[in-house]
Amino acid sequence: MHSAVQRANTVATIAAILLATICAAASFLDAFNSPSLQAHVQVVKINRFRRQLDGNDEVKMTLKMSMDLTSLFTWNTKQVFVFLAAEYETDTNSLNQVSLWDHIVQEKERASFQVKVPTKYPLIDQGTNLRGKKVGLVLHWHIMPISGRMIQGKMPLSNFSLPDSYTTRS
Amino acid sequence: MAGRSEFSASARGKDRNCSTQSYLCRGDSHVFPSSPVLKARINEMDWQGQKHAEMLMQIFLVFSAVAAFGAGYLMRDFRLMMLIYAGGVVLTALVTVPNWPYFNRHPLKWLDPSEAEKHPKPQVSNITSSSSSKKKASKNK
Repeated sequence: MHSAVQRANTVATIAAILLATICAAASFLDAFNSPSLQAHVQVVKINRFRRQLDGNDEVKMTLKMSMDLTSLFTWNTKQVFVFLAAEYETDTNSLNQVSLWDHIVQEKERASFQVKVPTKYPLIDQGTNLRGKKVGLVLHWHIMPISGRMIQGKMPLSNFSLPDSYTTRS
Repeated sequence: MAGRSEFSASARGKDRNCSTQSYLCRGDSHVFPSSPVLKARINEMDWQGQKHAEMLMQIFLVFSAVAAFGAGYLMRDFRLMMLIYAGGVVLTALVTVPNWPYFNRHPLKWLDPSEAEKHPKPQVSNITSSSSSKKKASKNK
């Protein structure tokens, strides 16, 4: 405190510590946010169900989705990454999770929407187990805050069954 | 404290009655302007001023942090919190860091040179037998 430079150093240090404190407080308050979101997904049609040249099953389908993610957003939210995973069980793997579609929502105003889209990524199996398989669709989300730790969540949605035999593109 | 030529200026006989460290008494006041901004860069703070400045700094910074967090929480806007806090920090730095004359209201009174000559610094003695007693005597001064 004897010279202006020392005082400037003290101001900068205390300001940095208090900045960390208010960011930690903002992140801490996020834990009290209990989200209640709604989502609905429906498989419109299976576009292609075939066996690839390297031996794995591949499915491409069209999905109709509607979801309301506004309750996930707080004042400390930077963006929400949401993806739809197909989950099923095979003989070799007790749980397979394959991401079919994902989306980044950056504003609370754009968090409620309905889309009818083909899947971004095909459902490719490790093997040839998909014929007649019962597949569950689960919506996962990652909330990325401005300050703090990432928050994950998921919600199981409807199930559907794949056809018993391969189809060609219709 | 940074050394200044107070003794030499006063000893030159220009302001023998003045015993403060302020530039007004150094005999070269014609060089320095009277604006408070430039005064702040030249003068330093005194002890009371330093304590006052440190207290103001802590209060301002904590208040800025609390006000920023409250405003951001109520208005649900993280960016607003950051802006208010940055403004508070800049305001604190402007008030606390420069040597404003307000912090120099109780300046130190340095000893007049004529007074200092009456109490000279003790000399190191060459006699080994009485060196310890002489050092004890000088410490009592």
